[in-house]
Amino acid sequence: MGLSRWDAKYTPYLIITPFFVVFAIFGLYPLLYTAWVSLHDWQLIDGDQGFVGLENYSRLFGDPNFWNALFNTLSLFVLSTVPQLLAALGLAALLDRGLRGSAFWRAGVLLPNVISVAAVALVFAQFYGRDFGIVNYLLGLVGIDPVDWRAETWASHLAVSSMVMWRWTGYNALLYLAAMQSVPKDMYESATLDGASRWRMFWSITVPSIRPTILFTVVTSTIGGLQLFAEPALFDPGFAANNSTGGSDRQFQTLVLYMYEKGFRLFDAGYAATVAWMLFIVVLLVAVINFSLTRRIASKG
Amino acid sequence: MNRRLVGSAAATLVMVLVAGCGGSSEADGKIELSLGLFSDFGYDKLIEEYMASHQNIKIEQRKVKMEQHNTQLATQLAGGRGAADIVALEEGVVSQFRASKDKFVNLAEYGAKDLKSQWADWKWNQGTADNGEFVLGLGTDMGSLGLCYRSDLFAAAGLPTDRAEVAKLWPTWADYAKVADQFTAKTPNVKFVDTGRNVYKAILDQTEEGYFAKDDSYIAERNDKVKSAFDTAAALGTKQQTGALEPFSQEWNVALKQGSFATTTCPAWALALIKAGAGDGAAGKWDVTTAPGGGGNWGGSFLAIPKQSKHPKEAYELAKWLTAPEQQKRIFKETGNLPSQPKVYQDAEVQATVNEYFNKAPVGQIFATSAESLKPTYRGTKDSKVGPVFASALTRVEQGKQSGADAWTQALKEVQDVVK
Amino acid sequence: MTRMKAGPLLYGFLVAVLAASIFPLYYSFIVASKDNSVLGEKLPPLIPGGNLVENVTRVFDTVDFWLAMQNSFIVASTVAISNVVLGTLAGFAFARLRFKGRDSLFLVVLGTAMVPTQLGVIPLYMLMSDLDWYGTLQAVIVPVLIGSFAVFWMRQACEETVPYELIEAARVDGCSVLRTFWHVGFPAVRPQAAVLGMFTFMTAWNDFFWPLIVLDPNDSPTVQVALSSLASGYYTDYSLMLAGASLAVLPVIAIFVLLSRQIVGGIMQGAVKG
Repeated sequence: MGLSRWDAKYTPYLIITPFFVVFAIFGLYPLLYTAWVSLHDWQLIDGDQGFVGLENYSRLFGDPNFWNALFNTLSLFVLSTVPQLLAALGLAALLDRGLRGSAFWRAGVLLPNVISVAAVALVFAQFYGRDFGIVNYLLGLVGIDPVDWRAETWASHLAVSSMVMWRWTGYNALLYLAAMQSVPKDMYESATLDGASRWRMFWSITVPSIRPTILFTVVTSTIGGLQLFAEPALFDPGFAANNSTGGSDRQFQTLVLYMYEKGFRLFDAGYAATVAWMLFIVVLLVAVINFSLTRRIASKG
Repeated sequence: MNRRLVGSAAATLVMVLVAGCGGSSEADGKIELSLGLFSDFGYDKLIEEYMASHQNIKIEQRKVKMEQHNTQLATQLAGGRGAADIVALEEGVVSQFRASKDKFVNLAEYGAKDLKSQWADWKWNQGTADNGEFVLGLGTDMGSLGLCYRSDLFAAAGLPTDRAEVAKLWPTWADYAKVADQFTAKTPNVKFVDTGRNVYKAILDQTEEGYFAKDDSYIAERNDKVKSAFDTAAALGTKQQTGALEPFSQEWNVALKQGSFATTTCPAWALALIKAGAGDGAAGKWDVTTAPGGGGNWGGSFLAIPKQSKHPKEAYELAKWLTAPEQQKRIFKETGNLPSQPKVYQDAEVQATVNEYFNKAPVGQIFATSAESLKPTYRGTKDSKVGPVFASALTRVEQGKQSGADAWTQALKEVQDVVK
Repeated sequence: MTRMKAGPLLYGFLVAVLAASIFPLYYSFIVASKDNSVLGEKLPPLIPGGNLVENVTRVFDTVDFWLAMQNSFIVASTVAISNVVLGTLAGFAFARLRFKGRDSLFLVVLGTAMVPTQLGVIPLYMLMSDLDWYGTLQAVIVPVLIGSFAVFWMRQACEETVPYELIEAARVDGCSVLRTFWHVGFPAVRPQAAVLGMFTFMTAWNDFFWPLIVLDPNDSPTVQVALSSLASGYYTDYSLMLAGASLAVLPVIAIFVLLSRQIVGGIMQGAVKG
């Protein structure tokens, strides 16, 4: 009796403890440490050079490169996430029909996600080559002049977000699919009897039923999308040559890339930590906004 | 997932956590030395020999890309652990690491100063601090400058193809720009040079002081030589005579393969890259001659020993051996990396070296001569931070995004953030 | 199943999607089967060449690929299994158990997901060197033994599929919390657990930023670390690199095929409850 009550009261805490322990050591500690570093003039190798208070933060607000990186981050995020999630939803709906060899199709759409990002970047760099890339070749067939994909802001954003979309659409589609599979089938049956169209059923039954998963993907892809690093870094041929500015005029330098430049290239760890903290706040803000926005839209459906 | 799977999973988990999977550092009583390198130093055979003659020592090389190498090294120095016993520092970043010299062993403590005469003075100086009292690294190779050109493309443009005559075309960089105009007038579809950035760098490398004066103060704004180098390169870009290529990138390789540019500045180590990129199809078409404006240096590295090394003495012995003239000579013959020890240049074998691929060019003679006449530029502590700002500016000009003047103004402004 | 049957149009469309998904992988394979000069051609080549065996052999000669595979396997499977076990337990607790502070604790879990990963590299590295974990596999395993993604995802799954009534019934029967989880909770979320296992396996398998910094490329490489050693030269041999990258994908595909049975089987089971 006593044991059972103890069980009901404390076991829940016991089983969520591992998460909090791991997070406290490997997540919270670095986060707080970074906050501490951001309040100092801190050189990467030589360490603390003295307390400066909020000086790094005030420098940051007046730093056009920071605002540029923030703009790029948001632009790349919107360009890659919105179409990606819509496409994933559509793809999941298609995969949810009674397909032959369903495992085969599922494996197929997930394939882009299993390839290492370095290989993906190499292949896409090849496709988007200015002089010899297949994309420019195809554009040439319909009479469009070759585009210098790395030189122009809009072009580089399109190229990088296509890479992100290609990698993650199938992944999100599978998450949706898993949720769709647990929508009770009698709901569809009665709707069919009422003569509802397939489109209508999708919006009024499927989408509301998988709303939690949609919220989930919105939050996770917000987090992932705002922390974009590998794709733009590898898209920039200058990255390997000690110049991580994300294009000749920082056209596609994201916040993480900027943080990397400051921290690892210029060894200004204090400032890099400041960028990191601002990024944290931006992610938090955008995730909350997206969460409430999606919740409202999805519940109307 | 069934119960058995979960059970065995838990077992694996515990095993991994308890056991620890890393390597131990003292295997069978031998001293293990690690060598943190990037790119191709050509040490494989030498290291085997060294291990054979030093039975108590085991050496392993860690090779990664240069960019990763630098990031890892910085992190390891900051974290106080994990760095290799000997690390390579490239010329571009050696000045940056010089600022953190207390993280490295002062090789003078092991008698490195006695070796000073092996190297060219400038090379020795690059690897030292505190007026030579602190020896940070021992020089490996250097990158004395030549100019590579496609003789078939030169012929098509009505230019001479013989390397002595080509050299006569461009005693100065202004002459080089004139040749560019002639070339473009005849063959407008081929770019004269891969990128103006390399031209800029080559010109700058021929001045005694570039971005920084010898007292390490920032002078780019008032140094006419920087401005004029920038203008020369930007003019090539504005006239669309450059390929706007990132040097040594994949696009650069493709352009080499396609034969879409005719010249490139080439330090000794770049010949292997040109050969690899252009492929067998272009054998004999590329040639190499002296660069406008005399010699210069681009690249080359140093071997340094982080303080965290457990065996600094043994590491020093190895570094000393690897950078000794006899070994440097062998590396030159095997890989083409030019030694930084002048004594090697006089060697008959080195002088007689020709490069088959480059139309049998006497590369030993060309690069050794260039190395001897070389007056290298002073590299300030923040050189590697400033350089990329101007490189990006030139890329903007080549991409047609900005005029040379605007790019210059923006670069001067951006660089303030780095030098202050 | 009363879901609409798929017509030829749909299959046609899916084939196109599949082609787009596969093409870059196929292209890597093409480059891996030729020599590097193929990259200089104006149009991407579409037919494999004859150098595949040679390039694969070179991969094994250049780096210790077996060791790397073995290490990656240890890392990825440990991370996947631990995330599934710990994540399902925590997710179950957040979704279906009543305890004080549950909702605010879950908000904390969500908040932790926002912490940018690259941010912590330096302090994390210092921590690892204090623990003397540099160059050991723990250094890449332990920090990700359980992530917010797993908790979040499994909580979702329990919310959707584990009925409250069953839990109440089990509790009334005198089952302990853990027994209830094992007999009622876990069976219901098996498909989602399999999805989670696969995704975390993949993420761990493909991670490279942190492993490159904290692992020793000779003593403790993972596959991604080995791949980067393949491209260490100033001149990058893409045939070699992509041969390695193509090899590295195979185990992940194998895991998917293995687990996809689980996923499909689980779905059938889940559908019964509807």
